[in-house]
Amino acid sequence: MDLREDLAPLKRRGAALTLIVLAALGLLHARLAMLQIIEGGRWRTLAENNRVRRVPVEAARGRIYDRRGAVLAENVPTWQLLLFPDEVEDVERTLLFLARTGVGDISTLRERLNAPRWGPLAPIVIGEDLGWELVARLRAHQSDHPELSVLAGFRRFYPFGRLTAHAVGYLRLPTVAELEAGRSLLPTSLVGAIGVEEQRQATLAGTDGERWVVSSAIGQQLGVVRELPSQPGRDLTLTLDIQLQAAAAEALGDASGAVVVLDPRTGAVRALYSAPSFDANRFVGRLSFADWAALRDDPQRPLQDRCTQGVYPPGSTIKPFMAMAGLSEGVIGPGWGVNCSGSVVLFGHPFRCWQRGGHGSVGLERSLEVSCDVFYYLLGQRLGIDAIASWLNRFGFGRATGIGIGSEASGLVGTPEWSRRVRHQPWYPGTTVSVSIGQGPVDATALQLARAYAALANGGRLVRPHLVADSDADRSEDLHLDPDSLNRVVRGLTAAVHGSEGTAHRLASLPMAGKTGTAQVVALQEGVTVEEMDTRFRHHAWFVGWAPLDQPRWVVAVLVEHGGGGAGVAAPVAGKIVAAALAGEAEDTHVDAAAPVESEHGTPN
Amino acid sequence: MEHRTDPWLLLAVVGILSASLATLQAVAQVVGPRLFTRQLIWGAAGVVLLWLLSRVHVTVYERLAPVFYAGAVLALVAVLVVGEARGGTRGWFAIGPVTVQPSEFARLATAFIVAAWLGKGRQRRLSARDTLIVTGLVLLPTALVLLEPDLGVALTYLPLLAAALWLGGLPARAWVAIALLGVLATLGAWNMVLKPYQKDRVLTVLDPERDPYGAGYQVRQSKIAVGSGSLLGQGLGRGSQSALRFLPAQHTDFIFAAWAEATGFVGSTLLLLAYAVLLVRTAIAALAADTRHGLILVGLIGAWLAFQVVVNLGMVVGWLPTTGITLPLFSYGGSSLLTTCAALGVVQSVWRYRLVNQ
Repeated sequence: MDLREDLAPLKRRGAALTLIVLAALGLLHARLAMLQIIEGGRWRTLAENNRVRRVPVEAARGRIYDRRGAVLAENVPTWQLLLFPDEVEDVERTLLFLARTGVGDISTLRERLNAPRWGPLAPIVIGEDLGWELVARLRAHQSDHPELSVLAGFRRFYPFGRLTAHAVGYLRLPTVAELEAGRSLLPTSLVGAIGVEEQRQATLAGTDGERWVVSSAIGQQLGVVRELPSQPGRDLTLTLDIQLQAAAAEALGDASGAVVVLDPRTGAVRALYSAPSFDANRFVGRLSFADWAALRDDPQRPLQDRCTQGVYPPGSTIKPFMAMAGLSEGVIGPGWGVNCSGSVVLFGHPFRCWQRGGHGSVGLERSLEVSCDVFYYLLGQRLGIDAIASWLNRFGFGRATGIGIGSEASGLVGTPEWSRRVRHQPWYPGTTVSVSIGQGPVDATALQLARAYAALANGGRLVRPHLVADSDADRSEDLHLDPDSLNRVVRGLTAAVHGSEGTAHRLASLPMAGKTGTAQVVALQEGVTVEEMDTRFRHHAWFVGWAPLDQPRWVVAVLVEHGGGGAGVAAPVAGKIVAAALAGEAEDTHVDAAAPVESEHGTPN
Repeated sequence: MEHRTDPWLLLAVVGILSASLATLQAVAQVVGPRLFTRQLIWGAAGVVLLWLLSRVHVTVYERLAPVFYAGAVLALVAVLVVGEARGGTRGWFAIGPVTVQPSEFARLATAFIVAAWLGKGRQRRLSARDTLIVTGLVLLPTALVLLEPDLGVALTYLPLLAAALWLGGLPARAWVAIALLGVLATLGAWNMVLKPYQKDRVLTVLDPERDPYGAGYQVRQSKIAVGSGSLLGQGLGRGSQSALRFLPAQHTDFIFAAWAEATGFVGSTLLLLAYAVLLVRTAIAALAADTRHGLILVGLIGAWLAFQVVVNLGMVVGWLPTTGITLPLFSYGGSSLLTTCAALGVVQSVWRYRLVNQ
């Protein structure tokens, strides 16, 4: 048939094709025999010698500088010991070896080994910041312990570890929740714990890379299969002035307390020092849990940032804001005054002035100069708690300043509504009287007071305190203060330093204005002087003020915990800091003058 | 009169599918357990598809070839526009939870149209006009796949063209011309088309130790896996190469290496035997065909499957550069598996509906 004739050549060609394919399969089979039977032993040895490791490449964290370029945080090269869990043959033997060479004690190492991991090939940082001798000892035994590998890495170093611990912060390991949040974190990554390190974690951290390396059975690196380079983090320049920070620490001495220095024009934080402090360098590692626990359990609570987290009754430092409230609300006229006899009876209770003998006739400016309590008792009674609370809130009390480091305390401005809701107590009229001199249900942080005084010093703008120079600094709110009233309050605060009766008269040699404050911890008992009291019950000492008088550039808030009187304890601290600030400024005047003025050069069109 | 479905071919298919599932199960720790389940579903669906298509009369494929081909070309264009990209290749349609790779199915449609065109011819030698038409019919989808770009799949279209020209009876001098053109094209591709990493792969075949941790890494690891299987293998799931992830793409391109490591020379011989049975039974179906169309159709399918098997295994044993060509019925992947089963179903249709006593 036609069809059959037609197909014969096709079938011949098809058969030829089949033979070619079969020949190819035969060749492949021969090749398999070669690989698997003749060379099988050799390939098996290669398989055993063939370990692929996934080694994280740590990104260098951004450095942190103070406003003049002094290094506050940097990275120093260090040796780390990595352990590749997949390659451990005998956990006990490895642990014993590590303990014997002095990497750590067995229980800590075991805990470390059992910590959550990042995929089967990821190594564990089992030792860090190794000394040369230890590295040499480990390397000598490298061939016995291929699962261990000494690797170069970084260690965070804070040259001013104690001075900047709270402001700059330190590093910690990520929490399980953070790891699960799917950010590019490894269990061995370090993240900022507090301060700027935490606030600017994203900027500083950079991106870790990784390297896939093939290594031999004794842990020698044979080659790199794939490399993902790390991206270093960005550097940060702070507004902080390390010289002022040092001056603050020195002026506080052994006392516990807080020092905040702000530039009232911008809110730039020049100093933020909380005492007692701690050395941030103790936390840079991954293995320093014991140190941390010791600090956490310290009764002095060095981990607490007293500048932003410590709340204290503001005492007399609240008086300028009461005065502003009184003048602005119109409850007192320009000539209003009181006659202070040392105490006044209100709502059936005697309220005493700190000056037993009384101040005699007291007007507004003099009330700030001598810090007359009776003036403010009567003013507070006229204002009423709602107006007081409203004005204190305007000056930023009762809410966080937004400095953005750590968990900032919001402080408290007590109101009848608050009393019912939180204390389940009615508001007594006498409480209003106490609040008028900064006692009772009113608490503030040193940072809040510094900011509120900055508003008095800069003509009525509530600035936002910030530590990083690149923040959109000018986020201030205008409080719309009456200039005449503000002038009178400023005069009163100037008189508190320069007036003959001023409570801070001992600072008269400095171009300062300010207010002392003494916050009661417990009610004073009759016939007991402050010096006789147990330290725990002594008053907190405050001084908040600014310098210089003309166009103020520094607002200083000083709190000394249980220090006693503000005039005797806190004011001198502030004086020393202002003196240091003036001296430091004299030093770099020429630097500022030399700085180029930025101007826009538009291209002509 | 219908013939019985070829039991040898079915046995080979089921055997290869079982080995594939066993290997996926063994490397589940590394590639995830879901692949096994999915491959099981695809495999079952594939066998059903094979059975169904073997019951469609072979003339249907001839008549509907233009429809299939037009649909395939449209799908390949559409995937370039609305397709989903994976690792830089835009080659998948996402339909609910499954993704479909049209370039796999389009290969079968291309086999249909070429077989239908050549099946009509009567002359002993291929005319110049037919040569051009057949070449165009194959190169159109190939070019579209190259645009995705998916070099591995595009290469699997070439055996269709080669087999069509061979079976159609291209004169000897034309083959000489093609060989010359091939050399020129290779030189041109080397200088203009191939990316540096692709050149590295080719050079690695010529000199395996050239860059053992870079371009040569995959092949070297593959050879280590195959070789360390020795005679009896390390046992399924116990191969150190596969378990420790040294073996790249161990569920797709390099799945044979994982199998060879686990089952040794015995296992790889069995698998090779299964492929030999599959290809020989396909060849027998082609030679038993009673029409030009049936013979060419089965011949094209057989050539394509043989090409994939030989090139994939050649890559695994380090003879050919890594190109991303999968092992039919064995590599993980639903589109490839279903297409292969469909093609074998078509082969069986030719086998079952051939004339008796021809």
